[in-house]
Amino acid sequence: MTSKVYVALRVKATPERAFQAFVEEIGAWWRPNTLFQTTPRPGVLSFEPGEGGRLIETREGGKVFEIGAIRVWEPPHRLVFSWRQANFPLDLHTEVEVGFEAVGAETRVSVEHRGFDQVPAESAARHRFPDQVLLMRLAEFWRAQVAAVGDTVA
Amino acid sequence: MSAAADLDRTLAALADPQRRRAVDLLSRGPRAAGDLARELDLSPPAMSRHLKTLRESGLVEESHPAFDARVRIYALRPEPMVHLLRWLEEAERLWSEQLAAFKTHLEQDK
Repeated sequence: MTSKVYVALRVKATPERAFQAFVEEIGAWWRPNTLFQTTPRPGVLSFEPGEGGRLIETREGGKVFEIGAIRVWEPPHRLVFSWRQANFPLDLHTEVEVGFEAVGAETRVSVEHRGFDQVPAESAARHRFPDQVLLMRLAEFWRAQVAAVGDTVA
Repeated sequence: MSAAADLDRTLAALADPQRRRAVDLLSRGPRAAGDLARELDLSPPAMSRHLKTLRESGLVEESHPAFDARVRIYALRPEPMVHLLRWLEEAERLWSEQLAAFKTHLEQDK
């Protein structure tokens, strides 16, 4: 049990096709839900392909919200991008890694969403945490907390 | 008190294995001090000392049932760990849904 989320499933497609669909067709497959609680009407998601490219949500009327930026771009196997949804607390910066692994004629697609126990440096400065050591201890603290709560979350 | 001092206190409270076990038990629901002592196999005075430390650290809070002011019920305080758990739960639900939608899209759209 750690402070990250891991979800995976198999799709009937090659890694190449799955990677392409994940990135290029996210506007079609992404289901609007309660994620963007701060906006009454969710927009359409899209990736700007390549490292440094953004993952954005374009709302009706053309307003753009940046969810994150691509940190690792390794088609067709691996994709890592930062993730900050509109309803996150200001200090919460997380990262999503998507893996595409061939399993026979199919592909196992996995999503790891992590960083929920990270304390960003800006936040540390604001709270006057003295040094890196304390940040490490804070991460340990979160891990202990989550472990204590046991298997209420996967 | 500063946030750093708060944190030090919380970490110190969790440094003890018996207090961690108490927190673990309380994470499954509130308990009377006597029940905790029994489950952890601690003497009532020892249990009482640990609970005092946990209370001062802000990890647990104490209340009395309406029917008997002598009984002390201990519960984990919801802050701040519940916030983290909420994000984790929400993220897991989100990605389960989205990956399922992705699979549907990919497999119907030839």
